[in-house]
Amino acid sequence: MSSADLPTKEVNVLKGHEGAVLAARFNADGNYCLSCGKDRTIRLWNPHRGIHIKTYKSHGREVRDVHVTLDNSKLISCGGDRQVFYWDVATGRVIRKFRGHEGEVNAVKFNEYSSVVVSAGYDQSLRAWDCRSHSTEPIQIIDSFSDSVMSVCLTKTEIIGGSVDGTVRTFDIRIGREISDDLGQPVNCISMSNDGNCLLASCLDSKLRLLDRSSGELLQEYKGHTCKSYKLDCCLTNTDAHVTGGSEDGFIYFWDLVDASVVSSFRAHSSVVTSVSYHPKDSCMISASVDGTIRVWKT
Amino acid sequence: MNSDEEDYVFFGTPIEREEDITTRKKKAVAEASGQLRTLPSWKQEVRDEEGRRRFHGAFTGGYSAGYYNTVGSKEGWTPQTFVSSRKSRAEVKQQSIFNFLDEDERSELEGQSLGTSSQFDTFGFTAAELARQQAEKEQQQRPSAIPGPVPDELVLPATESIGVKLLLKMGWRRGRSIKDSHANSVYDARREARKAFLAFSSDEAKAQVAHSESIQDDLEKYIEQPAGDNVLSSQGTLVHGLTPKQDLHGLGFDPYKNAPEFRERKRLRISGSRDPEYRKALSVKNSLFGLKSGKVAPGFGIGALEELDAEDEDVFASDYDFEETYVQEIDEPSTRLMVDTKRKLITNERGVLPGFRIASNADYLPERFDPPLVPKDFVPHHKFAGTLETDNKVPDTGPPEVSPPEDSNLKLLIDGVATLVARCGKLFEDLSREKNKSNPLFSFLLGGNGHDYYKRKLWDARQKQGDQKKHQLDGRVSSSTQKLTAESRGKILGERPLERSSNDAGPSVAVTSSNSVNLQYNLSDTFTTPASFSKLPEAVKPFKDDPAKQERFERFLKEKYQGGLRATQFAGDINMSEATRARERLDFEAAADAIEKGTLGKETNISTQRITDYLATGGMRFTPGGLEKAEDTHAEITKEIYPKRVEYQWRPSPILCKRFDLIDPHIGKPPPAPRMRSKMDTLIFTADSVKSKNIEETTAENRHSNGVPQSDVQEISKGVADKEIEYEVVVENVERPVDLYKAIFSDDSDEEEDTTPILNKVEHPEKKVEAANTALSRLMAGDFLESLGKELGLEVPPDPLYSTDKAGASISQKVDENSGDDKVLHFQANKLLMNTNATGDHMVSHDDKKVEIFDSTKSSRLLEIGSSKSKNDKVNPKKTSSSEGEKSRRHSRRHRNISDSDSDSASDHRSRHHSRSKRRKESSREKSRSSKKHSKHHGHRSKASPSRSHYGSEKERSESKKEKHKRKS
Repeated sequence: MSSADLPTKEVNVLKGHEGAVLAARFNADGNYCLSCGKDRTIRLWNPHRGIHIKTYKSHGREVRDVHVTLDNSKLISCGGDRQVFYWDVATGRVIRKFRGHEGEVNAVKFNEYSSVVVSAGYDQSLRAWDCRSHSTEPIQIIDSFSDSVMSVCLTKTEIIGGSVDGTVRTFDIRIGREISDDLGQPVNCISMSNDGNCLLASCLDSKLRLLDRSSGELLQEYKGHTCKSYKLDCCLTNTDAHVTGGSEDGFIYFWDLVDASVVSSFRAHSSVVTSVSYHPKDSCMISASVDGTIRVWKT
Repeated sequence: MNSDEEDYVFFGTPIEREEDITTRKKKAVAEASGQLRTLPSWKQEVRDEEGRRRFHGAFTGGYSAGYYNTVGSKEGWTPQTFVSSRKSRAEVKQQSIFNFLDEDERSELEGQSLGTSSQFDTFGFTAAELARQQAEKEQQQRPSAIPGPVPDELVLPATESIGVKLLLKMGWRRGRSIKDSHANSVYDARREARKAFLAFSSDEAKAQVAHSESIQDDLEKYIEQPAGDNVLSSQGTLVHGLTPKQDLHGLGFDPYKNAPEFRERKRLRISGSRDPEYRKALSVKNSLFGLKSGKVAPGFGIGALEELDAEDEDVFASDYDFEETYVQEIDEPSTRLMVDTKRKLITNERGVLPGFRIASNADYLPERFDPPLVPKDFVPHHKFAGTLETDNKVPDTGPPEVSPPEDSNLKLLIDGVATLVARCGKLFEDLSREKNKSNPLFSFLLGGNGHDYYKRKLWDARQKQGDQKKHQLDGRVSSSTQKLTAESRGKILGERPLERSSNDAGPSVAVTSSNSVNLQYNLSDTFTTPASFSKLPEAVKPFKDDPAKQERFERFLKEKYQGGLRATQFAGDINMSEATRARERLDFEAAADAIEKGTLGKETNISTQRITDYLATGGMRFTPGGLEKAEDTHAEITKEIYPKRVEYQWRPSPILCKRFDLIDPHIGKPPPAPRMRSKMDTLIFTADSVKSKNIEETTAENRHSNGVPQSDVQEISKGVADKEIEYEVVVENVERPVDLYKAIFSDDSDEEEDTTPILNKVEHPEKKVEAANTALSRLMAGDFLESLGKELGLEVPPDPLYSTDKAGASISQKVDENSGDDKVLHFQANKLLMNTNATGDHMVSHDDKKVEIFDSTKSSRLLEIGSSKSKNDKVNPKKTSSSEGEKSRRHSRRHRNISDSDSDSASDHRSRHHSRSKRRKESSREKSRSSKKHSKHHGHRSKASPSRSHYGSEKERSESKKEKHKRKS
């Protein structure tokens, strides 16, 4: 995939959020996307047609992250109200609220079977919640972090958390080991490569770092954007050929994965680009910004 | 178990049996038809279509109560006003009184809408209107010569309003203006004219509103009529009425009273707002920032106690730019036309304060100066005018030998200065000469007293220095090098030459910012073995980022170590101010100190880092450049080091594994030890050594044996098989913290009473339980003992317990054999005690050793009980033998030591015992729970359970026994 195929053309602008949009995520097949923001709502969109489908309201404070199951039936969201909300997509009702975090919840993810939700909180912990039982107690609390956990990723066998203490910790359930990679810089956001071998970590020194997951080696650093105070998302493109991420000046950057050169950068929003999400199959991307819009980008 | 059931989730609705439904339905139908006919409505039962009763309990109100069985049905009564706030919180339906009224009431209410009665018609408009209508009607009815409605002017209101009446009473006559006719109408006329003029200018005379027209009329009239004309037409009053009041100001309030210019502007804006585009923009803004905005009511849904703290501050708030929104005033919808130019003006002026516009030409223009041009050949590195180095061109023949001056002080001074100048170069001489022009002491510099001597001395020093240098540097440094480049410096300092990086453009000293980082980093580890250039160890270079400074520092050091005259003024840069020089000097002092320390530590490589750290943290200030660079190097280092990978043990919870569909890696293993524990914790939580516990046991036994009739004890001793006793010995790992705390805080006196009876009852079966538990606890105890032994530097026999099986048979023998085995001894002691109790006086004559061991541990308790026991023979030897409990316990030395009892341990034991006895009651309650918890607890905790069960009641014990068996299997 050459740089010409990068999604740099704006196709749709999804407007509706009142205030900053904090996260925008494609669903598993890329047909829909979810966004959440400061207006305490979660919104479901069809980004390809630019339609707003549904609004989910129940959060008491800003919603920081949202994730949807593989079968699109359930949502999980978290935010400033220290709770994790488990939603039914169709009815828009909250099925369960998981309380227990002692601080704001920064990120949340379903596991592969949508049976467990892992949330990352300001209280320096990762908590795993069981969706199958009626219990609202966490089934596991991981509190080995020494600062706020900003981001979480799940694989089939691992829980990976990135924290402000500069570590990316991989908790391998299968072997019962915790592997801590200290990057020395606060980690904002972590994102897996599509092949699962690498991990992209966005650090607060305005660098993205690509780690080899098996060895913990630093493979590459991506510079050029600004990321000093906001939680900005980053991700790899669907082909793993490029790395993309937002910047605090409203730009979106594309780097070449291998040589770390900025392939493309353009002004996408008028304000901080908080979140980017790449379509799982096509060359399509959505970006969310503090300016309250979500923009859909295609080639 | 309950928790298991909770884990299941049921989907769908259970299938009901067909026949059940049908029969019920049939029954319902039958009953309904029968009921309806027979019973009155208030007695009939309300049933649904399946025949179940709809209402129960207090709500069985009869058939009519359910609105004739419409409640559950489609057409049943559904609340119209209730809105579930859960789904749509923001949408609150507007309720009016009509929602609560039925038709009759509504029609009634509609009849009485409020209106003004003609009585209070102040200006008589309503009355006039009515009259006119009446007139029209009348006119239509009768044929008239004049067709059409009668003009207003002709038909005056039939009734007079109260206002008019009042005015008339006050002397007003119809057709006159209300205002004071004598007021200076000239002013009025002028004002009106101005108004009109403004209106014209904006509207280009096209405005045809009644208002402006009337103004025009007015104007004309004013112009026509000379000032001072008293008689004004009635139109003067009517002018007011022609402009309807549609703003929200108070009646008669004119916001633009003193600034009519703004009135004009406002009018323009209003007409501008009628412009469709602009209106749209406005409405969009309103919807965005109006009531709907989510920014209202922060913390909705959050408890009242949770305050918005600093973290909750709206970090994104600044990104909303509210570009000046007009508050849309509801004002008169004037029909004035918009002029294009004006509209343009408005759109342009949005960013400006209302009422102002951006000046087209500003009278203030900030003067701009071009930055000074940097000459092309400028190198951003300062070269000193004079040579910093020693001048190597030493003339072969120096000035003639001169006898030193008489003044020894002066001689010293001259010597010092000469060496300094020789070392530092001519520059220094110049400098000091300049500085000390007026100082008579330094007159030798200016050719005064001692000048010749100084010359000679200088020559000497130079020659010496030159020789030295040549000798040391092996002539590597060419004498002609004037400037010190990085390479030459490196050579001097014995550095390994750097691998030149690709973009390392030039060898110049000027390290460009881009590669300075690399250079610095490389420097730090390229130092080879120091050449003995000076006494300064070469590896130590606290100012290595600033070559000039480093050199100065070295010079400073040399001076410091070589002694000689301390430079009266510090040999710094000429460019440096006094203050910076002083600071630098301080830095150097500190660095020198640090180096001294560093070399002592023999950590050449690390010491550099340490020194810099030391300096940085010690409040010393480097030159800003140096500091930054230091940071850079640090960053560079971190970059190299990170990411660091560390692995830990981590235990996923079993249910997590289950949910992830993975096999628990720790399945079947005991729960892991906690990763980190403070020393304090481990101290508190470590269970006591087995021995002490044992002794406690024995003391307890002993005690009660003393307190209770002998027969009981005998029974016990008989009933308990040897084996069981021996098991009891095994592990007494009671959770210490509770004991400790209780020992400190609990009240002893009340416990004293209840302990004994319980003991009597409980003791016997306990032992059986112990037997059951032994197998499990043995392992843990063994481990624990071993670790404890290591800690204390003792050898612990691998598995002492099972060697004691036959212990009961020959006590004395055993004791002799297993001299090192405490447990056995204790056990024996324990047993011995029982025996002695049973046999009475036999005790004292028994083996000393056993007794002593028994004592050493138990002494405390015994002491305390001593008073009661004092009559008893056997107590006395114990008392005396209450030796250093700890020692004897650990080393199992069996000497009879006549010493004071360790009071500390004594009280400790005692209290522990008490607290234990107290817990006995609790433990029985907690037992089941604790056994459940077992697996969750950490190693040493789980050990506690057997000891607990030790005190449990029969039932619980049997339970735990089962459990243990299970586990064993």
